[in-house]
Amino acid sequence: MKNQYDLCLEVLSRLQKAAVLEQILVIGSWCIYFYRNYFRDSTYSSSIRTRDIDFLVPIPTKFKKKINIPEMLRDLGFIEDFHRKGLIRLNHPELIIEFLVPEKGRGRDTPYPLPELGINAQALRFLDFLIDNTIKLKFDNLKLNLPHPAAFGLHKLIISSRRIKEEKRIKERQEAIRILKILIKKGEEEKIIRLFEPMPRRWRTKVINALEKDEDKKIIDILI
Amino acid sequence: MKVIKGVLEEELQNSLRMKKQYESAIKELPKGSLVEKKIRGHKYYYLAIREKNKVKFVYKGKMPEEEQKKYLEAKLMRAKYRKLLSQINKQIAFLKKALNEKSIRSLS
Repeated sequence: MKNQYDLCLEVLSRLQKAAVLEQILVIGSWCIYFYRNYFRDSTYSSSIRTRDIDFLVPIPTKFKKKINIPEMLRDLGFIEDFHRKGLIRLNHPELIIEFLVPEKGRGRDTPYPLPELGINAQALRFLDFLIDNTIKLKFDNLKLNLPHPAAFGLHKLIISSRRIKEEKRIKERQEAIRILKILIKKGEEEKIIRLFEPMPRRWRTKVINALEKDEDKKIIDILI
Repeated sequence: MKVIKGVLEEELQNSLRMKKQYESAIKELPKGSLVEKKIRGHKYYYLAIREKNKVKFVYKGKMPEEEQKKYLEAKLMRAKYRKLLSQINKQIAFLKKALNEKSIRSLS
């Protein structure tokens, strides 16, 4: 059986061959793993992560051809997991794949259908912020689109306050702060400020509130 | 420690859900393994199905290639799903054990 890392690369490679990967972003805790090629720091290590790998699909979509992702990954052992209201996740003991789209307007309580990919995606708030601030990274033979680490960190701080479970809230806050501190160490604090300042006031308040829970006030000092 | 416990609990719930899905995926696959027999130069097919301790051979006769392929794919998928199911069972046992560890209980 392939290990988690090999399986993840195989999934990404198949998505790249199908010309899907160039149109979507890898988000969630797997980003932290791939950021090692951005930071290129020998002390950098990826933190604890779950099996979930999330793909963010910008809408409107620009896929050149129709493909069926569940079918494409079936021989790897992925099975479709139909959640209530029709959300589809792809499950494997080593990896859980989910597709997300940015939520627009008043939002919707049903998943967003992506017939071009043969799946339904979950619509979530604040994801446009990640789409607007991306980086391209080479990883093995893959060309990945990821949120800029500054956007990743600030976004995590915003959404951490929306988490109901305390441990999730803490985990997201810790991940965000860790990435932002590494960016500062790399001398990229300007980028954090450039993304933070034009944010709506409510978002900035959420970021500051989350940062205040950290003992180290270094990031707050930079932002205020 | 709370974070680790939360992650483990989430993973356990995911594994339990996956276990059910793989079990039902195995049930949904066409049963049996195709056996080819050559009689006077002609190929005939039988479906070998295990029923309790006995293996029953169901005569299928001549079979189009497409149908043969369907049974072959089902056989491969069944083997794959069984392997993954065994992996999930190991994960569940590990996660349950980890969540019952005194060190985690006392810190939560």
